[in-house]
Amino acid sequence: MPLVTELITQLLNGLVLGLLYAVIALGFMLILGTMEVINFAHGALFALGGYFALALQPHVGWWAALALAPVGVGLVGLLMEFGVRRTYGRDPLFGLLFTFGAALALEELIRIVWGSRGYTISAPAFVAGPFQAGFLFYSKYRVLVAVLALLLLGAVWWFLERTPYGAIVKAGAHDSEMVRALGIDLARVRNLVFALGTFMAGIAGVIAAPMWSLKPTIGAEAVMPAFIVVVIGGIGSFWGAILGGLMVGLASGLSNLVVPRGSILVMYLLLAVVLLWRPRGLMGQKSMLEL
Amino acid sequence: MRSFLAEWTPLPMLGMFALFLVLPAVLPWIGGYTYLGTEVMIWAIFALGYNLLLGHTGLPGFGHGAFFGLGGYFLGMSQKWVTGGLWLPLLIGTLGAAICGAAVALFVARKRGIYFALLTIAFGTMFWFAVFILDTWTGGEDGLTGIKRLAVGIPGLFQVPLQDNLAFYYFVYALFVVLTVVIYRIVRSPFGQVIQAIKQSESRASALGYDTARYKWAVFTLSCAFAGFAGGLYSLARFGAFPEPMSLHQSGNVVLMCLVGGGFASFYGPVLGVAVFLVLRDLFSTLTDHWMLLYGLLFMAIILFLPEGILGLTQRKRRPAPSRDTGATPPPRGEIAAPGGPR
Repeated sequence: MPLVTELITQLLNGLVLGLLYAVIALGFMLILGTMEVINFAHGALFALGGYFALALQPHVGWWAALALAPVGVGLVGLLMEFGVRRTYGRDPLFGLLFTFGAALALEELIRIVWGSRGYTISAPAFVAGPFQAGFLFYSKYRVLVAVLALLLLGAVWWFLERTPYGAIVKAGAHDSEMVRALGIDLARVRNLVFALGTFMAGIAGVIAAPMWSLKPTIGAEAVMPAFIVVVIGGIGSFWGAILGGLMVGLASGLSNLVVPRGSILVMYLLLAVVLLWRPRGLMGQKSMLEL
Repeated sequence: MRSFLAEWTPLPMLGMFALFLVLPAVLPWIGGYTYLGTEVMIWAIFALGYNLLLGHTGLPGFGHGAFFGLGGYFLGMSQKWVTGGLWLPLLIGTLGAAICGAAVALFVARKRGIYFALLTIAFGTMFWFAVFILDTWTGGEDGLTGIKRLAVGIPGLFQVPLQDNLAFYYFVYALFVVLTVVIYRIVRSPFGQVIQAIKQSESRASALGYDTARYKWAVFTLSCAFAGFAGGLYSLARFGAFPEPMSLHQSGNVVLMCLVGGGFASFYGPVLGVAVFLVLRDLFSTLTDHWMLLYGLLFMAIILFLPEGILGLTQRKRRPAPSRDTGATPPPRGEIAAPGGPR
């Protein structure tokens, strides 16, 4: 039985991780798709979410922190966009480097405020510890993570597919000139999309913090899988990001069973295989991002 | 004779070589030290090679630190366990990085712009993780130590020991001179003309019958070879290969070095950028423990206020209306990604 238990545990871990990756990747892709900016600071903003929650939780409790910390991160993103907007329409390198600088600065700010040490964050009391189902013990908190991630993914889908704002965002990514010609203030839309994308990073950070210990470099570790998820799923595809997230999550979960030390490299292997097979990613379509 | 000079080592290049020739004598006077000069030349080789990709082909590769680091590891591993010596490991370091680069280039050669950047980031970090996972060979976090600067010379005739920093400076100097000329010749070659055509418009270059993907593959591989060579020298300089040059952070540094010096505008931009950068790094780290913050803010300020780099600025002054065909400025949006325009 132990192998089966182990297998199921790792499968579940992979699933939870995959959903979380999908949330991070979608926030990243929202910015990438609308502004053609690779937001390198996505990881740092993810970390910032965790740290904001760390600061808020003792005062307002877990749920309020879950709501407030990402809003704080979103505000940081809103401010950042005023700098980033000067790189729109120029070589993608400039946006990349600008956000790269922002990532360095944010990471150092985190060090200044909270120090370099790691923090372990406890899960809220009502989901502390594991639950038992037959022979299987599984962390209650991870189940909550999966539920929250699913809710977030659903909310993004609803926003993009069922609201007029989502239509504007998608149209702006597709043909910005036409959107402007229709009298829509695209600068404001982009500003808000950037804030929304960073909000997603922040909320993922809050959710992930109790699973991973919080340290200044946590952002860099979280953003790499997100990059890969986006490429595997296909840039610009909502379902691609979810599929890619689940694949990367499951692959690293399962490879933990076989080659625990090499599990990071497995996602790169996955990336290489997918790109050889489908150069645009699983659900990617020819888009303006390809240039 | 004159035209030969202009073709191989034009005046600014000679001036640069002369400057680096006397630099060790000058450095102590201005608060520098010989090793800083060595470091500048090593990074300059790296940056000049990388600028083949960035400045001359217009491809935003963002994981080149990986190949710089790999050069050091391949050099170290072959010196320790396979061949010994100095020149052969340096060659192996270069080739090793080039082969890894060639493999990555297979995946990225058909991409450009943002997609190219994203993929090079991903593959760059792959090598970074690989170094940590293969710690039996690479030493993991502690690095691969014990790399020797063996003497160079002609056996039986003369030997120059490189242990001393000044001797090592001139060893690197000689290689720097040779490689700068080589890279300059590559830029001036027919191959160089094609990659610059790709920068201006890939679709136009391919309409002219050039297999642009193959050229992009070649220039990527080439720039990785130079990165590996420079990385090999760096591991000699530090008596060991360490993972830190492979981090994304360092990959970002080399991009900014090229940019800040004016790599889009001038062949020499990367060298200037490297010098400015390493001096600033030293300066910042003496000022405050949190120099990374200053560094990050500087990064952002440069992108906002000096995107053409220092040499780009002088060029802008000299030529108020830069003509498109100099490639002095990155092409405006309409040129590369007009929505609904030719792809």
